[in-house]
Amino acid sequence: MAVLEVKNLNFGYNDINLINGLNFEVEEGQVLCLFGPNGSGKTTILDCILGLNKIRKGEIIIEGVNSLGLKPEELAQKISYVPQKHNRTFPYTVLEIVLMGRTAYTSMFSSPGKEDIRIAEQSLKKVGMHRFKDRIFTSLSGGEAQLVKIARALAQDTKLLIFDEPTSHLDFRHELNVLKYIVELVKSNNISVLMATHFPNHAFYLENNGINTKVAMIEDGKFGALGKPSVILNERNMENIFKIKTKVFEYVENNKKLNYIVPVDFNTN
Amino acid sequence: MSKSKKVNTKVLTIILIIAPFILLFVSLFIGRYPLTVNEVIKYLSLGHDVALKGTDAIKYTVIWQIRMPRAILALLVGGSLAISGGALQGMFRNPLVDSGMLGVSAGAGFGAAISIIIFNNTIFTYLFAFGFGMLAVVLSYLTGKIYKSAPTVTLVLGGVIISSIFSALLSFVKYVADPYEQLPTIVFWLMGSLSSANYKDILIALIPMSIGVIGILLIRWRINILSLGEREAKTLGVNTKLCRVLILACTSLATAGAVCVSGTIGWIGLVIPHIGRMIVGNDNRILLPTCISIGACFLIIVDNIGRAITGGEIPLGVLTAIVGGPFYIYLLKKTRGGSW
Repeated sequence: MAVLEVKNLNFGYNDINLINGLNFEVEEGQVLCLFGPNGSGKTTILDCILGLNKIRKGEIIIEGVNSLGLKPEELAQKISYVPQKHNRTFPYTVLEIVLMGRTAYTSMFSSPGKEDIRIAEQSLKKVGMHRFKDRIFTSLSGGEAQLVKIARALAQDTKLLIFDEPTSHLDFRHELNVLKYIVELVKSNNISVLMATHFPNHAFYLENNGINTKVAMIEDGKFGALGKPSVILNERNMENIFKIKTKVFEYVENNKKLNYIVPVDFNTN
Repeated sequence: MSKSKKVNTKVLTIILIIAPFILLFVSLFIGRYPLTVNEVIKYLSLGHDVALKGTDAIKYTVIWQIRMPRAILALLVGGSLAISGGALQGMFRNPLVDSGMLGVSAGAGFGAAISIIIFNNTIFTYLFAFGFGMLAVVLSYLTGKIYKSAPTVTLVLGGVIISSIFSALLSFVKYVADPYEQLPTIVFWLMGSLSSANYKDILIALIPMSIGVIGILLIRWRINILSLGEREAKTLGVNTKLCRVLILACTSLATAGAVCVSGTIGWIGLVIPHIGRMIVGNDNRILLPTCISIGACFLIIVDNIGRAITGGEIPLGVLTAIVGGPFYIYLLKKTRGGSW
């Protein structure tokens, strides 16, 4: 069953249409990577699904329910969001930040209870950050903060997780760590992920690790290509959509064929 | 380590709860008319309406009609201003915001000044101060709404604009006021005072203050979420618009209720929340109740100092910063700013 179905999505500001009739779905246990150059509309699409942008036309159906009729807390019980950057705010502790993921389950005039604290601590354990729970969130490194935000999304207990550039500003080790946890969460909890990324190798990494992965290559608010990474992340599509020359490599490790892609040069044609 | 921390939290909670009451009791002794512990306890235990029973009328009046209402009002006003400031700082994600941010104080000052000129009657002064304080908030909110983008920033901007309009109007009223009778009254009102406190004042101010404070306490978890910013708050399931309006309404009621009986007392709404953060951290679930206690204790101490150190009275608005400033610097040094 599709966790998320997007039908004929249209969005724009004033008289400019940014997104023109997108159709896609995310199945249970599947990762869909929105892949495209800067300014191609990745974040705009995510914002439409998160209810932050008011769509012009079309339907967004989450777990079989049209998202337009959902209240903010109902939507937040179905979709959780890991933002690209965290706004500067008061120096809350890590546990307090994760506990905020339980807000959708508390009523307007109440605070999270004991059970919510238990769930928040559990979520921190899942991403290996439990020993940081009393640290000040704003003092964490980029990689640690990213894991805490993932824990908060897990505390929100949703079938669909949305990531916006989950590894921007992270070094190789922390990037790998975040990707590793995404793989683990999708495999063990059967959740679905929609993520915006400008690293094609993320899609390859997920596919290489046995995740049901799809890539949507975005070009000016439309999909230039949609399919499995090993099928559509090829040199021809990269040349058409990104206007660059690339090289896809295949290597063998532990008897498995794996892929990765590197940029070579600008398209000189 | 975490066990000793828990014990500390418990001790701290108890201190924060009983400290205002201890200070209330202590302040019954402070003043020019000397009273012994036994006398105070005796009159307190006899209850509110003992004047008829042939007891010492002066002592009764000093305890029940002068010091008690004033101390109660100090607790209420201090607590209301502090929690309102804390809530607004959280909501605006801005530690420089205070309880008068949206024009409440400026509006109330203007309302009070007009009423002093036209009616010269305390009840009207309360009503006008309260009414114009609330009007200023509504105008600030509407000004902020003209912009469609970043709503919290424009609300702050709206508050600044409306405040300065009301300050200008206040200056004009001062300019036309009679310089021998009305002007001094206006100036003293603006400097803040609890000297005219009586039970009627307390009852009048209690209604908006308690509605406001209880409202803020109920919604305080949502203030944590709003402090993450609009995007994150929405995706965490918060109806940001409704929440913001509720918080604005509650803080305005609490502040206007306090200001209309006490005059403008600055500083508390700005700095007490910071002191609270240094002591209990940033989680508004704990911080905001703490603000009530610290704000209440602070104002009652300052008011006692104001009426004890000289024969006359030093206006509250003057003393809050002079007493509070050094204390704030001391705490800042001790806690290194609570990881700001």
